[in-house]
Amino acid sequence: MRVEYYFRETASGIRRNGTIAFGAVMTAFIALFLFGLALLIRREIALVIESITGNVQVQVYVDDNASQETINDIGGVLSQLPAVETAEYENQQEACDRAKVIFAANPTIIENTTCATWPTSFRVTLADTSQYAQIPAALGCEPDATGQLTCTQPGVSTVRDWRDVLDRLSAITTAVSLGLFGLSVIMLVSAVVLVSNTLRMGMFARRKEISIMRLVGATNWRIRVPFLIEGGSEALLGAALAVVTLFLGKVFVVDQLAGKIVWLPLVRNSDVLSVMPWVIVAAIFVAAVAGTVGMRRYLDV
Amino acid sequence: MISLQHVSKTYKNDVTALDDVSIEIEKGEFVFLVGPSGSGKSSSLRLLLREDDPTHGEVFVAGKNLAKLSAWSGVPKLRRNLGTVFQDFKLLQDKTVFENVSFALEVIGKPKHVIDHRVPEILEYVGLGDKLNNYPDELSGGEQQRVSIARACVNRPLVLLADEPTGNLDPNTSVDIMRLLDKVNKIGTTVVMATHDQAIVDAMRKRVIELDRGKVVRDQSRGVYS
Repeated sequence: MRVEYYFRETASGIRRNGTIAFGAVMTAFIALFLFGLALLIRREIALVIESITGNVQVQVYVDDNASQETINDIGGVLSQLPAVETAEYENQQEACDRAKVIFAANPTIIENTTCATWPTSFRVTLADTSQYAQIPAALGCEPDATGQLTCTQPGVSTVRDWRDVLDRLSAITTAVSLGLFGLSVIMLVSAVVLVSNTLRMGMFARRKEISIMRLVGATNWRIRVPFLIEGGSEALLGAALAVVTLFLGKVFVVDQLAGKIVWLPLVRNSDVLSVMPWVIVAAIFVAAVAGTVGMRRYLDV
Repeated sequence: MISLQHVSKTYKNDVTALDDVSIEIEKGEFVFLVGPSGSGKSSSLRLLLREDDPTHGEVFVAGKNLAKLSAWSGVPKLRRNLGTVFQDFKLLQDKTVFENVSFALEVIGKPKHVIDHRVPEILEYVGLGDKLNNYPDELSGGEQQRVSIARACVNRPLVLLADEPTGNLDPNTSVDIMRLLDKVNKIGTTVVMATHDQAIVDAMRKRVIELDRGKVVRDQSRGVYS
């Protein structure tokens, strides 16, 4: 089997129905671009949530006047609980820095407070969120009349459960990414339809060649491979355009925001790069499905 | 070489093309399939090429039961042993004479040195040694049919199947084509030719199998058309 044969056939096929091939490439491009965009937006939301919450599910606030020994005791209690994955102490300065980041958009809040305003705390992530109750129990906390927890463990002022906030944020992430993925799936399906359509047009244009090939004993592979290469190169060209456009978008849109919103973490080039293999996988998927669908009826021996 | 055993073929629209047909054809024979339109000549050729499967019965070509061939390798191998010639030549208009013939070798993966050797050789053999670079529309009907015979024979098939090869040609040209087919037969190729052409069948004095409404009504060596 000579490689040059396949590429000659493919090239002449693409030349023959150029505008239709162009349409297929463009649809594949838009579909794969949306697909990559969905992945990047998901990444961006994850970065924002991470920076605001640090994925902390529970905060154990510590009295302002607690001694280092008291603080160590609290840390010891927390880290022994099986439900706790990590428990990190955040001191006054760190709490203050975080507040500045979170309220960067509302500078008046920062201007009217001092660092001492922000309480120190243990920031806790849970190994098993359903086991949250272990924490207030271990610290001897009971809800008071207003629902605020008061605790018997020395130095603990109160415990805040952030799980529902995190749940809500991740629900938003899920909704947004599902929406984007739904859109890109629709686009990918149209790409499959258009690519398989160009293959069919190509096979129709070459039906005489194909019938002669079959008569003289060419194998199915010999007949199909040029069309598979054609569909594959259309999808991969679309993928290349999509990746280039994503990078351009990163450079000319995202990077322009970089200086303006200090607190907002932005996707990096490495994030765009890590999306690339998925875009290519999606392109191969488009080509494979289009090939199977497009050639099924046409080329039975 | 070719054996049809109690073969029937009924198409989906309930048309019976062949009805319990049994035919044996030996290696090197020259056989005319005659009969009116719709008598089952073309259906028989389609079965031999395995473009269709029989409804009942079995078809053997070169010792192989066609029903047992796999679509991905058995059928292509079968067809490499069968040359085919049609009334409408089936040449590719955008390829030269040489390219039309080399196409048949190229698509079954023959290397270039084989192609460069065999294609001019077979075109010389059919009498078109000086037309290698002409396009089909620059040739007469008889010359075009010679190209298609060259294409059918370039891979040295065991059997040549011809479906009305002289159907589009005038009587004199038809005689030339028949001489060529006879020449191909003389070098050992089994030739099966479906035809309406009474003058040719009568002149050639070869074995004649007559079909009528899907049945063999006559099988005669050194026969005439009717």
